[in-house]
Amino acid sequence: MATATYPPPPPYYKLYKQYSQDPDSAPEPPPPVQGPYVLYGANYTTDDVLPGLEEQGVRQLYPEGPNIDFKKELRSLNRELQLHMLELADVLVERPSQYARRVEDISLIFKNLHHLLNSLRPHQARATLIHILELQIERRKQAVEDIRRRREEAQRLLKDALGTLDGT
Amino acid sequence: MDIITQLQEQVNAIASIAFNTFGTLQRDAPPVQLSPNYPEPPANSNAAEDAASLADQPKLLSAELVKAAKQFDALVSALPLTEGGEEAQLKRIEELQGENDAIGQELQKQLEAAEKELKQVQELFGQATDNCLNLRKPD
Repeated sequence: MATATYPPPPPYYKLYKQYSQDPDSAPEPPPPVQGPYVLYGANYTTDDVLPGLEEQGVRQLYPEGPNIDFKKELRSLNRELQLHMLELADVLVERPSQYARRVEDISLIFKNLHHLLNSLRPHQARATLIHILELQIERRKQAVEDIRRRREEAQRLLKDALGTLDGT
Repeated sequence: MDIITQLQEQVNAIASIAFNTFGTLQRDAPPVQLSPNYPEPPANSNAAEDAASLADQPKLLSAELVKAAKQFDALVSALPLTEGGEEAQLKRIEELQGENDAIGQELQKQLEAAEKELKQVQELFGQATDNCLNLRKPD
């Protein structure tokens, strides 16, 4: 079985021959990509935001608004989910051929649930940032206090030493 | 594991319990007579123990399902969701940044003063030891 060698490295390295003597003689690295790009045939975007449910073609069951009461919506979606599962059980007993619609409803509820949970993540990120800032402020205050205390103690020691020197 | 990940895991757990429940019940259910024209299938020899476990299974499985749903509700109420939304959080972040900068500058000032004092003390100590070594008496 023939084994292939690795492909050769890209030939750009020849441009950097004089880099250690003159850093400006070689080309700059390319700037970061902006906007959507294509990688191995798939489209990716540089703007990392959670795509809305409507864009994915999924009906949104919870009411949209600037501030969503997450706890209430999550709980009501949970109740709806259980109700739908009871409906599915009933349908399987009485009209087994109509399961498809019910199963679709249940999967729709699950997609809504996961989308709600995903949209909680930015909130969590901001809360983490607030927490980290508070911790940092606390540490800095502690450091200021420590330095002040040490300085006062050093002053006191020097004064004592001066007193002993004068005393002799 | 943080609370949102726990919630997501719980949702997936509810989903897997659900399809396990329906799958098991559907697989183990005895056949139903569709029309009086077709005769009943012959009863199995172990019909008695089948009937017992078949009566228990829905109870156990649905108890699992309800327990998982209750767990989800408990996790939802444990969410530390501060009312106020995005703007309130951003405002708080700005406040904290301002406070952080102020106290950072204070820290920097204290640090510089302390370093200056340290250098002074070191210089004086050097002078004192020089005197001790050269003249054998403090100046």
